[in-house]
Amino acid sequence: MMDYDSQLRLQACLDGELEAREAAEFEAWLTKDPEAQALLEELKMTRGVLAGFEAGVKLPESPEFFWSKIRREIEREPRHAAESRGASLFAGWRRWLAPAAGAVAAGMVALLLLAPSKKQGPEVETSLADAGAFTYYDFAARTTLVWLSYPAEEELAANEEGDTLE
Amino acid sequence: MLVRAAQRGDMVAFEELVLRHRDKIFARALSMVRNEEEAVDLSQEAWVKGWQRLPQFLGESSFGTWMTRIVINLCLDHLRRQKRQRMESIEAINEESGGVERQMPVVTVNPTAGLERSELRERINYALGQLSYEHRTVLVLHEFEQMEYKEIAKTMGCSIGTVMSRLFYARRKMAGLLAGLRKEGLR
Repeated sequence: MMDYDSQLRLQACLDGELEAREAAEFEAWLTKDPEAQALLEELKMTRGVLAGFEAGVKLPESPEFFWSKIRREIEREPRHAAESRGASLFAGWRRWLAPAAGAVAAGMVALLLLAPSKKQGPEVETSLADAGAFTYYDFAARTTLVWLSYPAEEELAANEEGDTLE
Repeated sequence: MLVRAAQRGDMVAFEELVLRHRDKIFARALSMVRNEEEAVDLSQEAWVKGWQRLPQFLGESSFGTWMTRIVINLCLDHLRRQKRQRMESIEAINEESGGVERQMPVVTVNPTAGLERSELRERINYALGQLSYEHRTVLVLHEFEQMEYKEIAKTMGCSIGTVMSRLFYARRKMAGLLAGLRKEGLR
C-alpha cells in the first residue's frame, strides 16, 4: 500500500505543484505502480466532476432588487467615509491619549503621596510662628527631636565673621 | 473603462459591474457557505466592500478575480465565526488523528457518468455539504478559484502541508460520497 507521503506527492504531481525534475521522476515511478495509477485516476475524476460546477449558478434575486440593496448600503456609508475611517480611528485614539496619559500620571503622583502616610514613617514639622525651629518625629523609634537653628548659628556666624575680619 | 469610471465614483458604471459579475460572486459564496440566504447576504456585503475599496484596486488581477477574493475572505470570516459557535466537526478530528482517507478504497468507476446536469449538480451539492468547512474551502479555492497550495495556505492561515492533506481528504471523501450515492441511487 502506498504511504501517505507518496499519496500527497501524487496529488501534488496532478496539481502541477512539483518541480519539473521531481515530477518526471514521479511519473516514471507511477507507470510501475497500478495502485498509484488507480488513485491518480480517482483524483482526476473528482477534479473533472467539480469542473464547471459553479457555471450555471444564478443569483436568486432580480438584478434590480439586488442592486437596490447594494446602492442603499453604499449611500448609507459613502466611500470617503469608509476610506477615512482608519484615519479617523487613529485621530480619535490620539485625541484620547493625552487625557488618559494625564490621568495615569496624576494617579501615580497620588499613589506616591499617599503611600508613606500608611506606613506611619517619620514626620518633619516647622512652626509658622518660628521659622527657625524644626520638629522631627520618628514614630517607629518613638523619638522627638527639636532643632533650633538660632541664635547659636547666628552667633557662630558672627564669630566666624569676626574671626575673618580680625 | 467601467472599472475606471466606478473608481471615479460613477455609480452607473459600478451597477453595470455588479450586473456582469453578480452570479459568479454569488456562486462562490454559495459553494463556501452552503446556504442560499447567507450567500446572498455575503455577496451583497462583498459588493459594498468592493465599492468602498475600489480606489485601492490597482488592476494587478482582473476585476472579477479581485471581487472574488473579497467574497472569499468574507465567507471565511463568516465560517470561522460559525465554527467558534459549535463543536469541532468529526471531519476535523479524523484529520487530526491521522486521517481516514488513506484507508478509503479507490473509486474506479466514475459515479457521475451518464447523469443529467441537474442531477449531477444535486449530488455534488450534497457531497460538498458533507465536508467540514475547512475541507470544502480548500477544495473550492483549489478547484474553482484555481489557487496554488501556497496561496490557499496564506488565505486560510495554515501550512502548505495542511492544505495538501485537507485537499487530499476532501477529494477522496467526495469520490466516496459520489460513489455511495450512485450505489444507493437515492439522491
